[in-house]
Amino acid sequence: MKLYTSLIYRELKLTRKRFFLMLLMFLLLSLMMMTPLILVFISKPAEGEESPLEMIPLFVGIVALTGGFLAGTNNGLQKADISTGWKRYSFVLPPTAKQQALSDLLIKLCYILFFGLLSAAFELVYTAAADYNKFGNKLYIYMLNIYLGAVCAVMLVDIAYSYILMFAKDKNQLKVIGVIAFLGAGVILKVFGLFADVKNEMPADSDSLISETAFNRLEAVLLSGKTTLCIFAAFALICALFFLAMWRSHERREP
Amino acid sequence: MTEYENAIEIKGVTKYYDGFTLDNISFDVPKGCIMGFIGQNGAGKTTTIRSLLRITDINSGEIRLLGLDHIKDETAIKKRIAVVFDELPFHDVFNARDMARIFEGMYPEWDNAAYMQYIERFQLPVKKKIGQFSKGMKMKLQIACALSHNAELLVMDEATTGLDPVVRDEILHIFMEYLQNGERSILMSSHITSDLEKIADMVTFIDKGKILLTGYKDEIIEQHGIIKCNKEKLQEIDSGDIVSIRTNNFGAEVMVNDRENASYKYRDCVIDPASLDDIMLYYVHRDMKEWS
Repeated sequence: MKLYTSLIYRELKLTRKRFFLMLLMFLLLSLMMMTPLILVFISKPAEGEESPLEMIPLFVGIVALTGGFLAGTNNGLQKADISTGWKRYSFVLPPTAKQQALSDLLIKLCYILFFGLLSAAFELVYTAAADYNKFGNKLYIYMLNIYLGAVCAVMLVDIAYSYILMFAKDKNQLKVIGVIAFLGAGVILKVFGLFADVKNEMPADSDSLISETAFNRLEAVLLSGKTTLCIFAAFALICALFFLAMWRSHERREP
Repeated sequence: MTEYENAIEIKGVTKYYDGFTLDNISFDVPKGCIMGFIGQNGAGKTTTIRSLLRITDINSGEIRLLGLDHIKDETAIKKRIAVVFDELPFHDVFNARDMARIFEGMYPEWDNAAYMQYIERFQLPVKKKIGQFSKGMKMKLQIACALSHNAELLVMDEATTGLDPVVRDEILHIFMEYLQNGERSILMSSHITSDLEKIADMVTFIDKGKILLTGYKDEIIEQHGIIKCNKEKLQEIDSGDIVSIRTNNFGAEVMVNDRENASYKYRDCVIDPASLDDIMLYYVHRDMKEWS
């Protein structure tokens, strides 16, 4: 236990600046999303005019998406450890690769739990203040699905990034790998961009970004408990993958 | 805890790199000894140290630390050894107290009181960020961390390089104290042979990935000598006795590898004792035989 306390203390101390920045960003965005509530109190919308409260599910979604993105994103520690030489030094320290990977995972889970609770707290404030109970628990399921979905997506990117970083042993190699990763991301975006172009060529039903049928389908998926189960399963799998990637990263010796 | 005779045993270790090979090297560091590991830049000192610490994997050979296999018993070994690198591998945002908090969970035998004593002795600030430390302070902090968990083996890779003579002397003095109970051993790689001449019991000399000399420092120094002679006299010296010859305007300086024998064979020549620096220099040029 003492060992994990040490490992977690080191990691948290090193990432706290980044964490406070992320927290600030999240709080600013979430507070900004509260504007509709304030507007309603200041001036009630005229009859027939759409109430800003109608936008609350969208805001809950944005907050959950942001929270998920921040919680799942790479904390920059691996890169910093390579730059300072700690990565090399860690090979001569007693913690095993498995113990270090477990501590990485625990910290990631702490972040996920923290931003998850924060997102849920904001959602609670929105719904309570706006008396927006018509969805009941469904709004929570919706939030959870978006939040965990975002966490999973960002963690997958993080796993890929961490795997690539594993091959760097010093600052210079980090730079080379950074350039390669940047170019690789560019190529991937380009490929996806091509597919997007094909889709854009299809005739649009209306001026909106997404057709009503597609929106309804997306809404149904996001409000479904089955989706939550699937996302939880995916999340568990991705956590296991993250652990394996970190384990491999701590285990791998310099060539 | 295992009983062992040699703190380090390296047998036939080979490691291939692109353009460099650590070629079938073998040497031992007996328990209670300070082994100086010398050689010029790129000779293979750091590769050897990284191999024995398993920072890099070897292609063949066997390494035992504290009587244990360096791969199979890796975790057990790492609790009982300490390593000091030439550059401080700690993050700049930490201070000396943070490092204690980090290491106390990692090492079962971490001694906070001993650590604070070293910090005090080195006059290191406890709360100042490491990023604001001078090079000497950084090295002292690394050494304080290395000496505070009762490690039986201390491995140092160019740890005194770049430090001023006062700090170096202070650090060497601490190493001597550290070894006093006879249960601890040190492997210390350095360019600064004068440091090793002061404290090392044994010396291993590596060049181009091969071990050229290994043994007790005093014996190595006693065995080698430098004959100062003119060019005519040089012809009389057996090539088998010569390590290499340094020529100058006045004649030549010849390093011989058996000083006692040479003093009988070449009675009319002056044979000066050789320092570790001289030995390193003449051995590095052994392929050229004559150099200036």
